[in-house]
Amino acid sequence: MDLIGDDQSIRALFSELKFVDETTAPGFTATWHRAQARSLQPRRAFKLSFAAATALLVLGLVTMAIWSNRSKPAANVSAYATVPASKDFKATVSKKESQPVDKQENRTSEATAVKVRRSGSVASRRAIEMAGTRKVFNDAKTIESWQSPTASLLSSPSDDLFKSLPQLNENANGMKSFLPGRANDKEK
Amino acid sequence: MEITELKAELERLHSASFGWALSCCRRDRSEAEEVLQTVYVKILEGKARFGGESSLKTWLFAVIRKTAATEYRRRLLRSLRLTGEAEDSNEQLAAHETQSATFERSEIQEHFQKALKSLPRRQREALHLVFYEDLSLREAADVMGVSIGSARQHYERGKKRLRESLATMELGYGLNWGRSEHPSAV
Repeated sequence: MDLIGDDQSIRALFSELKFVDETTAPGFTATWHRAQARSLQPRRAFKLSFAAATALLVLGLVTMAIWSNRSKPAANVSAYATVPASKDFKATVSKKESQPVDKQENRTSEATAVKVRRSGSVASRRAIEMAGTRKVFNDAKTIESWQSPTASLLSSPSDDLFKSLPQLNENANGMKSFLPGRANDKEK
Repeated sequence: MEITELKAELERLHSASFGWALSCCRRDRSEAEEVLQTVYVKILEGKARFGGESSLKTWLFAVIRKTAATEYRRRLLRSLRLTGEAEDSNEQLAAHETQSATFERSEIQEHFQKALKSLPRRQREALHLVFYEDLSLREAADVMGVSIGSARQHYERGKKRLRESLATMELGYGLNWGRSEHPSAV
């Protein structure tokens, strides 16, 4: 790089500055040893912000655990109240077809609640599971037998015409009966 | 590169590194020492590794520059958080000013440093790397993390501004900072 005129003056000033810095620079060995000591020093494991965040997290988890434990029995009771449970599965299905759903559910839920209160925990759980399965089955049956209220509107007197196809071995007159009205008129 | 070999190289470059650290820390000696120590810690811990893509000096200077910027941000945040601490740092700065004043023997040097401090960071860096560290513009660009064209611009503008500020200070120590006497200068 060419140093012309004032560039040389600037360089002179910089070199003077460099000289001053070099004379006052800290020793390499001292700096290196301090750096070595710093790198060997174990990291401060405890940081206030980190500890506070961890404590908050733990507190939150504990609160959630306690809350979920407390809310469990209530959930069970409500489950018992809604699940239908009857001894005879087939009987329930046949009743379901004849009786309205609400009434049956009420009855079975009452029966289940009473049953659960009386029986032991294991037996009651099994009963609940069975009742749950039955309810699902009943629901599936109800859905299967469901018919649209507008299904009757789709039926018409000309349904037979649309649904039937002419046979290939029919005679010509018979075939012509499937043609539009105008063509038939011309024949006549 | 092995650590013993690296250590020998670092020792050779130590005073230049300290000068560069001083420039990056706005001539704050304690901060420069801290930065240099942090750089050595980074090297020892393997956080800063010399890959051999550039010269060791360029790589080391780039690490120093980055570390100084990080330290500066950290200090700024700390001083913003604790106003009391800021007062302390002001006192420290004043102490450093008096300390450095003893080193800056000539008045010209004092004016020069003031002019240098008044320059934008990039321009100051470009001038320092070229004039103080004897690096080429390409090497300076590598250290600064900019393109060579950008480094050249910073260098030229920095030189111009430095000349202007020195001229306004009217040093009159037998030095003429104007360009009129050097029409051939580019």
